[in-house]
Formats: sequence, C-alpha cells, structure tokens
Amino acid sequence: MKRIQQIAIALITASVIFTACKKETLPNPEPVEQELITTVRLIVTNNAGFNKTFNYKVDNGFGGTTQGNVQIDDVVLAPGTEYNVEVQVWDESKSPAENITEEVIAESHHHLFIFQSNPATGEGSISFSNGSKDDENEPLNQKITFTTGAAGNGSLTVTLKHEPANKNAATPDEAGGETDAQAIFPVKLQ
Amino acid sequence: MYRTLLLFLFSLSIIYSSTAQQECNININVLVVETHNGRPLYPVVAHIDETGATYTTNEKGRFVIDSLCPGKYTFHFHSAGYEHHAEQVTIGRSTELKFRLAHLEGVMDEVIVSGTKEHGLLQDRDELSSRQVSAQSGKTMADMLQAINGVTIISNGATIAKPVIHGLYGNRIVMLNNGIRQEDQQWGGEHAPNMDPFLTNNLSVIKGAASVKYGTDAIGGVVLAEPSPLRNTHGWDGELNLAGLSNNRMGVASGVVNHNFKDIPALSFRLQGTYKRGGNYRIPGHWVANTGVEEKNYSAAVGWKKLHYGAELFYSHFNTDLGIYRGSHTGNEEDMLAAIRSDSPLVPADFSYQLARPRQHVVHDLLKAKTYIDTRLGVWRATYAFQHNFRQEYDVQRVETDDAQLNLTLNTQTLNLNLEHRQLWKLKGEIGVDGIYQENVMQAGDRVFLPNYRSTGAALYAIERYYGSNWTLEGGLRYDYSWYEAFNPEGRNQEVVRYEYHFNNLSGTLGFTKRLRDDWQLTTTISNAWRSPQANELFSAGLHQGAARIELGNKNLLPERAYNLNIESKKQFGNKLSTDVSVYTQYIRNYIYLEPGADILTIRGYFKVFNYKQTNAHLTGTDLSAAYAWNDKLNTTAKASFLFARDAVRKDWLILMPADRLSLNTTYTTDFSSKLQECFISGDARYIFRQWRIPSNFDAIDYPRPPAGYFLVDLSVGSKVIMGKQPLYISLTAMNIFNQRYRDYLDAFRYFIDQPGTNIVLRLRVPFSFNEHQEH
Repeated sequence: MKRIQQIAIALITASVIFTACKKETLPNPEPVEQELITTVRLIVTNNAGFNKTFNYKVDNGFGGTTQGNVQIDDVVLAPGTEYNVEVQVWDESKSPAENITEEVIAESHHHLFIFQSNPATGEGSISFSNGSKDDENEPLNQKITFTTGAAGNGSLTVTLKHEPANKNAATPDEAGGETDAQAIFPVKLQ
Repeated sequence: MYRTLLLFLFSLSIIYSSTAQQECNININVLVVETHNGRPLYPVVAHIDETGATYTTNEKGRFVIDSLCPGKYTFHFHSAGYEHHAEQVTIGRSTELKFRLAHLEGVMDEVIVSGTKEHGLLQDRDELSSRQVSAQSGKTMADMLQAINGVTIISNGATIAKPVIHGLYGNRIVMLNNGIRQEDQQWGGEHAPNMDPFLTNNLSVIKGAASVKYGTDAIGGVVLAEPSPLRNTHGWDGELNLAGLSNNRMGVASGVVNHNFKDIPALSFRLQGTYKRGGNYRIPGHWVANTGVEEKNYSAAVGWKKLHYGAELFYSHFNTDLGIYRGSHTGNEEDMLAAIRSDSPLVPADFSYQLARPRQHVVHDLLKAKTYIDTRLGVWRATYAFQHNFRQEYDVQRVETDDAQLNLTLNTQTLNLNLEHRQLWKLKGEIGVDGIYQENVMQAGDRVFLPNYRSTGAALYAIERYYGSNWTLEGGLRYDYSWYEAFNPEGRNQEVVRYEYHFNNLSGTLGFTKRLRDDWQLTTTISNAWRSPQANELFSAGLHQGAARIELGNKNLLPERAYNLNIESKKQFGNKLSTDVSVYTQYIRNYIYLEPGADILTIRGYFKVFNYKQTNAHLTGTDLSAAYAWNDKLNTTAKASFLFARDAVRKDWLILMPADRLSLNTTYTTDFSSKLQECFISGDARYIFRQWRIPSNFDAIDYPRPPAGYFLVDLSVGSKVIMGKQPLYISLTAMNIFNQRYRDYLDAFRYFIDQPGTNIVLRLRVPFSFNEHQEH
C-alpha cells in the first residue's frame, strides 16, 4: 500500500504542476495578410495630352471583416475617343504602398485582366483592343486601348483572374480560374 | 495460433459496408463463475475478439450471445480483482458455455487489465471489428464508420471526410485514439481526423451525449479506436493487409507484428505501419484535378505486465498529404456561381499522383504512457499523453513560393487518474480526475486564420452501476472547469488583444437496462454533455475559400449544453429474426450555427457574411435494423435511419443535416473445400433521400437546393484460401457498380463535382503467427 500511495502522490503532484504552471506569454507572431490587393488603378492617357488616374479602392482589400472605406472614381472620358490605358493593382495598406502589378507581370502567364463594358455598344460604352501579351504571347491585357462610344453613362468592370483556364476569354466566367480583384467603375462619356 | 484464429470469420465481414455484425442463428448462453466456490460472478465484462462485441454478465453470472455464426471464438473476461481470462472456443450449435475466473490473490498468473475494454456506459453503442475495418481498407476512417447505423459523413470530395453521429460532427464529437482524446485541428469540414484506421482492433461509436465519461465536446457522441491488447503469451504474430483501388489507382499496405518475450514473459511489444498512396479520383466521365493523397503512418507499443501491476508506452505517428480539388477554391461569388452552373468540372484534369496547390500537410504524433495497479480496492490507472498536431495549408499563390500559408501547431498534454473500484455490495464503478493543457500557435507570416490560444482544464467524475436482478441502473456525474486565453490580432494594425474565458459545467448521465425476457433487452439512457465554443467560432474572421463566403466569429458565445434521451430495444424473434430499434431525442441549448448577414464589398466583389449565432436545437431520430437468417448460408440485413433536426427558437429546420437513408445487405456464405472456405458473395444497396428538411430561408443562405436522392449498389466476393497451413483472405469489391452520377448534400464539393464513380477494390489479408508452443 505504501508504494501505491507514493506513486499516487507523485502522479497528483505531476498533474498539478503541468496544469497549474502556465507560461507568462505565448509567442504571438504578427500575421500577414497574404498578397493583399486594395486598389485597382487605371492610368489613362492619349496623344492629345490627356492624363488621368482613376482608382477603385477598398481599404480593407480582402479578408477584412468590415467593409472599411471605399473609394470609387468615376471614369470620365470624352465620347468617340481613343485612349491608352494601363491597369495597375496596389496594396495601399502598406506604407509605402506596394505595387502588386510587378508580381502579376512576373507571373504574367498565370494572370489575365478582363475588361467588360455595360452597355457593350452605343451610348456610354467602351470597346477594347490591342491588349498586351504575356510572356508566352497570350493575352494579359495589362495595357489596352479604350475606344469610347457615344456620350452617355455606363459601367466598366475590370477583373484580374489568377490561373485562368482560358487566356482568350472575354468574360470572367469564360476564363475560369480564381478572381483576385474585380473593380466596377461608373463610366461617364461627356 | 491465437492471433491467426482470431481472424477466422474474416470473410463474413469483408463485405464493404456490411452490417455491424453478421447475423447467423446460433445462440450461446454464457455462465461465468468463481473458480473456487462456483458462485456466479457479476459484473464481468466479456469481449469476443472475432465479433468485437462486449457483454456484461447479469447477477446470475450470465449473458446471452445472439445470432453467432459457427466458428472459433476467443473470449476475454475482465473483472476488477479477478484474473484476466482468455479462452478459445469452437462453436457449432446453440449451447451453454461455462467459464471460471480466479481471484487475483494466490493465483500466480498474468493479468491483463485493459482500460479500453470496459466502457462503463449503457449508452447505445455499435462496433466494427478489426476484420470489418480491414475489409474496408483504402477508405477514410469516417467512410468506414458509415457502416454503423446512424453514422454518416460530411466530406470534401472522396478523400476528406469526418464522421457525423445523429447529425452532429466536428467539435461536437470526441474521438478516442487508443484511449486518448484525439486533439487535432478540426476547424472546418475540410479538416479530417488524423488517425490511421489500421491502428485499431475495432472501431466503435457511442451515439448521443456522453460527457461524463469522455469529457467536454461529446455532444453528438464518441468514436473509439481501440488497438487489441498486447500479446500475453510468448511468440510472434502479425498480419499483412494489402489493397488496390481502381478509381484513384490507390495502393494501401499495412502490417503489424506482435511479440512477447519467452525469457521475459512480462514484456511485449507491437510494431505497426501503413502506407497509402492514391492519385486523382474519377467521377463518371471526368478525372478530378489535384485530389491525390499520400499517407505514411507508424506506431509502436511496449508493455510490461506483472501480476498486479503493469505499464504501457505507446507512440504513433500520422503523416498525410492531401490535394484539394482546384476548382473548389473560388475567388468570389461570381466564380462560385459559374462553377455551380457548369455541368462538368471547370478545372479539367488527367490522371496524376502529383499534388499541387491547394493542398494540406498534416502530422499528428501521440505519445502515451499508462500504468496500472490492481489492489484490493480495485484497479488504479494513470495515463499521461502528449499530442503534437502540425497542420500546413498551401494556398494557391500569385507568386511562386514553397512556403505554406498556414502553419498551425497544436500541442496537448492530458493526464487521467482513474480508480475502477472492486464491487461493493451490488455497486461497481469508477472515479477519476482529468487534466488537460493545450496550446495552439501560428507561425510568423501566416495568413490570418485563428488567434494563438492556450487552455487548461480539469475535471472530476464518478460513474456507478447498480446490478439488480435482470436489470442494471447506472448513474454518473462530472464537474469540468476550463480556462481559456486567446491573443487575437485585431483592427487595422492587427494589434493583439487578449481575451480570457472561464467555463465550468456539471454533467450527468442516468441509464437503465432491463432484460425483459432472454430474447428481449430494453435500455433507456438520459445523459448530457457540454462544449465550450471553439477558437474558430469565437474569432474566425475571414474567407471560407470553399464556400466563397466570409465567416465572422462571435466573442460572446456561451457553451453549448446538450440533453439526450435514448431508448433502445433489442429483440430476437426465434432463431431467424433479430431487431434493434433505437429512438433518440436531443435538446441542445445554445447550439452554435452560422447565420447569414449583410454583403460586404471587397476588392474581389461582394461577399456574403456569415455570423456565428446561438439558438436551441432539437434533434430527434431513429435508427432501425433487422437481420433475417434465411438458412445457415443466406442472411439479409435491412437498416433505416431518420433524423428530424429543428431550430427550436425559430421553429424551423436546421441546415446541413444528413438526409434519411435505407440500406439492405444480403450475403451468401459457403465452404467449397478444405482449401476454399468461407466463400461469400454479398450485395449491398442503399438509398439516400433528398434532404427536404431545410430552413425556410435556405435560398438566401445556400445555393443550389440539396441534391436529389440517390441509389447505390456495391457487390463483393471473397474467400479464405488455405495454402499449406497459411490462410489467405482475398476479396474483390465493386463500389458504386453502376457508375451512378450523384451528389451528396453533406459533401462540400456538391457545388462543383459529382461523387466518385465505380471503384473496384482487390484486398488481400495475410495473418501469420509463430509460437514456441500452444497457449491456453
């Protein structure tokens, strides 16, 4: 019996020690929001000296639990005009802001920008041509030409697809893959 | 010879998804008496290796075994204060068997006290024997458990599955791995339990709330995976299991070796290992991209057994790599809808063993040390365990990297002290204390998923049974205390905020069983259980990639409390028909669920937000089974399972509950010659209804509606082949033989792809044994 008692005491002591003894701090590494995008930016220029930047910015980007601030610029352009457009994606939650476009271009074959205009033709519409190519000479559309239609209002949807199954797609559905960013700009042709 | 013969009835159960027990028609009356004075002994727990069944003697020292098939059976008897007794018996017809147990004092023999064989609960319990487990080799453990009535699965395709007991799963189920609560990271439907089914001698399921014995979280029930006791007679034995599966070209190999030393009879060991590798699986018409799996598991056990005391050391290592169907990770709601609208998988694929992103890598280690001492007071046990769980998730990345985006470590230490006291008057039972310490940490640079947290818990419990004449009354009480501390990064700068929680709870159980007649037993149990909210329910704040939605934790959640009533009737009608009817109802206060909220705008478009909320749930259901023996060779088993799961506050159905189901199995078994025995052919058919019990706001939460009902047929043939003295068990099974296209409501891939098509499985099982001389 004595031996049993000894063992029992030892075990109880051990249990008390390992349940009661808690460390003062638990290491808490700072989590990193991976590959965050907060902003889709259109840099629009033309030969006539037009030079404007339009932002679609969601403060919390993605993965936030609240919506945060949203800034959506109206894309105000002249009707019946050709523009050179460069699209950029940024992480503006960092300081200084990080240009994610470089990563997209580095992995250009795994990405595709898709431009959609609503309406597709007529007043307030934009048509797209001369999209830039990726490193395997398939569409990437990071640089593209806008040709505006007649005066009116519409909307422009810019989607960045990751690993699209169809690089020649004109809509996100056709493209497959995963949506990394989708910006819907109001369009005013005036 | 004993291990070899343990496997004798293998072929009867090799049938995929067969019944928990093969129904034959022999009834055995067993009487257990004390060696010296011949008085009946009770309660004695008897376990039969071949069937995996456990019995308890009544006050007359008796119990009845129904519906046995002819064959050799190994009986084990355990009773505190008595010598463990094992004996092999050949059974050919209905008869009475008498066994004698010796008192520990003065008997110079070995003793086995197996903490896992006696479960001390009268609750509804079903088992799969080791043969039934290896007859399903290649499947996930959860899939194997589906053979038990009332158990279904929630899955992410064919390779990731979790068991669902009476509609409850995940954190609401406790899994016991070799007597230790499995502490792995089951944060979501895509996180399967990390256990090797080959480790177990049998798998059993306790249905309904069972916190008193198994601790917090056992709201839906308990899954017990129990290895067989270590060898106690000198010699070697072992077994090799091989399986090849056609659908995903999977190979499975598992082996086990047991040894007991001739010169050191107290010392035994076991070594076990499993390797499994499969590629992309196939649904009717298509390969499914990136759904391969690789698993490497091993375990070792060493035991030291003396007359009145002993110790055991156990270590197991589980290591898996799992691919996740690429098309199930969608970027936004639009992507998800496009995938739902498409009739074929959006990500085309060929066959490959290669794993790409998204994929998971999970390692689980368990180290367990156990010691026991048998005294006049009863059996004292102390069990310490350390578990290390490491989960890595590799997300699809824009920039090529070898890093995982999630590296979570969960370390758990548990200690249990238990006294199973010797019978006092007509009372038998156990008391004990439990302690747990747990830490969950992420790695620097991980994506936000869970806060780091740690918790400590302690509990005190007692379960007593009173044995009356042909009835037993059981009562149990448990007090739990737990403390929980989390460090949650919050806000724009991800500043760490500390949260502290204290939970305590009293749980109870009350069971009553009565043998109305020799062929009719009625059991009623009332039990309860509780569960404190998990880290993901409290803090989760982010995207659920597989469902394209954002889930938001709720820091004010209260513990869930469940109250369960179960009535079970087991009745035998003559020699031909036996029935098992079980009816249950369970009320869960503060049931935690996800409620849809507003949409929020992200850089990927609008997402629906789901908030963790609480309500009161009321789950009622029934499991029915009937077995009919047409003759010595032909048996049929029919099963049905129904569940009605209500939200008691909103007076509405609960979402994501398993649909009603029916199944029918018919098996014909015969011996062709002395070389070709136990040959069988078996057909298994099951129908799963469309789940029509869905909440009225279903369309706002989920799309599309639950998939249509489906009918599946499996066919199996097999035999025991004697080559020289060596038996081989071989079988060929065709699952989903008609290559039926179907989707299941509880499969997260139902939005994207069908379930697997036909799968043909060839299985081989080779038991071996080398003994210096005959035992027993």
